[in-house]
Amino acid sequence: MADNVISVRGLTKSYGEFEAVRGIDFEVDKGQVFGLLGPNGAGKTTTVEILEGLRPRTGGEVSVLGFDPAVNINRIKDRIGVCLQATNLPEKITVREALHVFSSFYSRTTDSSKLLKRLQLWEKRDAFYGQLSGGQKQRVALALAMVNDPQLLFLDEPTTGLDPQVRLEIHGLIEDLKAQHCTILLTTHYIEEAEKLCDRVAIVDQGKIIVHGTPREIQAQTLGHSIIDMHLSAPLPEGEIPATLDGEKLILSGDRRSLNVSSSKPTRTLVELVKWIDQLGIELLDIQLKRPTLEDVFIELTGKRLRE
Amino acid sequence: MKGYLALIEINLKLALREKSVLFFNYVFPLLFFFGFGQLMGAQSGGITRVVTMVLVIGIIGSGLFGAGMRAVAEREANILRRYKVAPISPAPLLVASMVTGWILYMPSVLLLLSLAHFYYLMPVPDHLFSLLLLIGIGSFAMRSIGLIVASVVNSVAESNILIQVMYMPMLFLSGATIPITGLPAVAQIISQFLPASHLFSGMQGILLRSETISQNAVATAALLATTCVATLISVKLFRWEKDEKIGRSAKLWLLAVFLPFLILGSYQAYSRENIEKGKMYERAFRQSRTRLIRGARIFVGDGKVIESGGVLIKNGKIEEIYDGNVPDAGAVNAELVEAVGKTVLPGLIDVHVHLGASGGIEETQKDYSPKAIIDRNLAAYLYTGITAVKSVGDSIDESINARTRTQLGEKLGAELFLVGPMFTTDGGHGTEYFKHTPEIVKKQSMDQFIRTPKNAAEAKEQVNALAARKVDGIKAILEGGVAGMLFNRMDVSVLQAIAQDAHAVRLPLVVHTGDAKDVADAVAAEADGIEHGSARDRIPDEVFAKMAKQGVAYDPTLTVMEAFTQFAAGNTELLDRSLVAQTASPNLIKNTKKQINSPDVGKMRQRMKDYPADLPQAGDNLLRAYKAGVLLVTGSDAGNMLVLHGPTVHRELQLWVQAGIPARTALQAATFNAAKLLRAEKRIGLIHKGYEANILVVDGNPLQDISATERISIVFLKGERIDRSGLFDQQ
Repeated sequence: MADNVISVRGLTKSYGEFEAVRGIDFEVDKGQVFGLLGPNGAGKTTTVEILEGLRPRTGGEVSVLGFDPAVNINRIKDRIGVCLQATNLPEKITVREALHVFSSFYSRTTDSSKLLKRLQLWEKRDAFYGQLSGGQKQRVALALAMVNDPQLLFLDEPTTGLDPQVRLEIHGLIEDLKAQHCTILLTTHYIEEAEKLCDRVAIVDQGKIIVHGTPREIQAQTLGHSIIDMHLSAPLPEGEIPATLDGEKLILSGDRRSLNVSSSKPTRTLVELVKWIDQLGIELLDIQLKRPTLEDVFIELTGKRLRE
Repeated sequence: MKGYLALIEINLKLALREKSVLFFNYVFPLLFFFGFGQLMGAQSGGITRVVTMVLVIGIIGSGLFGAGMRAVAEREANILRRYKVAPISPAPLLVASMVTGWILYMPSVLLLLSLAHFYYLMPVPDHLFSLLLLIGIGSFAMRSIGLIVASVVNSVAESNILIQVMYMPMLFLSGATIPITGLPAVAQIISQFLPASHLFSGMQGILLRSETISQNAVATAALLATTCVATLISVKLFRWEKDEKIGRSAKLWLLAVFLPFLILGSYQAYSRENIEKGKMYERAFRQSRTRLIRGARIFVGDGKVIESGGVLIKNGKIEEIYDGNVPDAGAVNAELVEAVGKTVLPGLIDVHVHLGASGGIEETQKDYSPKAIIDRNLAAYLYTGITAVKSVGDSIDESINARTRTQLGEKLGAELFLVGPMFTTDGGHGTEYFKHTPEIVKKQSMDQFIRTPKNAAEAKEQVNALAARKVDGIKAILEGGVAGMLFNRMDVSVLQAIAQDAHAVRLPLVVHTGDAKDVADAVAAEADGIEHGSARDRIPDEVFAKMAKQGVAYDPTLTVMEAFTQFAAGNTELLDRSLVAQTASPNLIKNTKKQINSPDVGKMRQRMKDYPADLPQAGDNLLRAYKAGVLLVTGSDAGNMLVLHGPTVHRELQLWVQAGIPARTALQAATFNAAKLLRAEKRIGLIHKGYEANILVVDGNPLQDISATERISIVFLKGERIDRSGLFDQQ
């Protein structure tokens, strides 16, 4: 439990009649990048803001860095870094000044020059915030979240609204942080982002976690099958399918040269398929393995798409 | 603490990068400053008001708009949201905003004060620290109000409306643009509920009347209370995000912020203290103007005459006297008062009046208010260029109060010197007025008007008690009357004791006398002035010689002698003098004329006939006193029948000239000599550098034609050019 940075048990939050969070449990370990994935309005931001100490909760137990946000808000705030959605700074503040102001609020600070260099903001240190590009602004937001050398970093939709190029840039930064064993709680509604960046993911919908685990585990847990596509040099002869491939769904194209197999155990199925084709003496021209995406999982679990 | 400093630092940097901030803090005030400066003649004295106005306008504007609008704008722009995740409360943000506003505004204050000093020649304030402290507190209070507005509104548009709603009244009703005295009565009351009014009046007090901040403690405390309450409530209601809306009822918190001023305002609306104070500031402001009287003949007061010259008035004092060439008004930054063909005199002085009596026959005593009548009488003197009077027998309480009112500038009227009660003896002259007073109030009224010491010890106690109340002199009555009107005469040993006691507390003693023996005894007792002398006896030349030697003043009060004769004869011509008609109440004149031949008044007239007032005899005494070199002074005994308060000295001067006194001597008696008897000759009674600018400007030359003193052109009191026609309509 010593490695437990965040622990949430039975968390609920109601706004009057409306229950935004309806009993959420999860844990984030030290050095982990944990993703809360879900559509807008799922309750991700509410959950995160409760952890950040910005909102009171209705019920459940929450511990962040060993403190209860309802009791020790400022202790938590002092030790965490937060990158909120849609925040701004005055137009005429320079990057360096912004860092100076915000580092004055914390008991622990990091070397801001190093931080600026690390976030590739060094060249822009004396530029006004208003003159920065969207990506630069987002990097400034990250820098501000890190001025106190946080033990835990909250990134709330860090790439929402950014163009693809900038999104990649930010992903790169987060991967760097991950490599440095930062503990990060990330919320997003981008599947790729969660798949790419997170050690563990919880999918949230309508105030509940509907599934959680590593991205791979989640994919595996679902009813979804991996698809194996094969292209052959010659048509498959008519005849028996080997017993080892029993139970898999095979679809053969009209010319009998393409094979589409849906499998719940794709690695094994793949080996059996290759063996079989080889025994038939047919040359394998191409093979593709398509794993199910989190989106597929989400659709399967909720019957709707993530981004609607 | 680190956070507070970092926020203040960044706020300052951001502000300095914002052109609008610089414009509102510096360019805007400067435009107003020079605009008002030129408009209000700042160079010739209006500068203190201009400075106060511009500073207060700046404090309100930068406070309400600077703090209020900016806080809302930052919330709307999602800037405050970023601070929300940091481990700070709203307090550093709010405090930093207030401190920044103050730091940004202070250089502007210093700049304006310096410009006022160097460009418009405003004197350095005596209590500069008090001034800066009050401005600082005011700036904090306004910013805190701006912040509370930000706390209770949901959008920039809403805050704009709310701020305008507060800004407009503060701008127009606080005195910052329109003098409070110029506002309608309702607006004057409303102004008492506005923080800016109290700020304005405090600053005026410090600048115009050399007050300190502790003399404005209540206003300062209210401003501080508002700052604290507003800051606490702002912390409590603070919203970091635009999505967090606040209910309409939250606007009621504004009332909590204004609570100190609701209390203060209610008190002021009731006591009117501040409104009165506002009048005094208006007075001080009017007194502070620089004026140059040019081309006039100047009667200096001590007998000297400058045939053509000029007088420069500045800050209520005579700054300079020019003989011959007078500089250009512009060169001395003064407003020009062209006075070619006119004569400038020191304000006239009447050393013998009774302010509580009207001098005529009132229709009814029902509405008699000593306060109102004394104020009106003092105004009547000022109207006629009599800038100082000495009350030699009036209610001590009423006259002290009236003296305070004129001293403070609350009421405009002649400067009042007073003796309070008259010293007489049981059954002596002065006690007869109380014969018919009902027993219940008798002791109380007699205590206000007379003292009847039985012996030296009692006299001493009574003189000392009056001295403690700061009377300006002592008056004793030494007269046995005449057949048909007999009085007990004060024992001479008691009179001597009174004289000694008065001198011990440095108060001049004047003695009312009836016959030659009274005068001789009073002179022997070392009185400082003889009132009336005698209008029935020839005062021996030896007595006058002794008076000249001892420096005893002689006040013949020919006016009352003439009036008694006229009254006894049932003649009311004296009431037809133009200046009397201008100053007395028309009803009083009408009723006196109507009643003089009534049976009731007839009895009074008969008694007067028995009391001989021989004007030629009185004139002869005066002439011989003059020849003996006695210090002559002018008094009228106004308040007695047919001597109405107003142009008394003018008539006295005419009677003197008729008696053979040279006009120049008579005028000196009415100015410098009278000031000597009042022990005020170091500050009034002369046209002299450093003297109070109490000046009478008349058409023509009274040295040739004494009646010229009645052709009044301008009256100045302590530098204020008196609006004479407005004197009788003072609120």
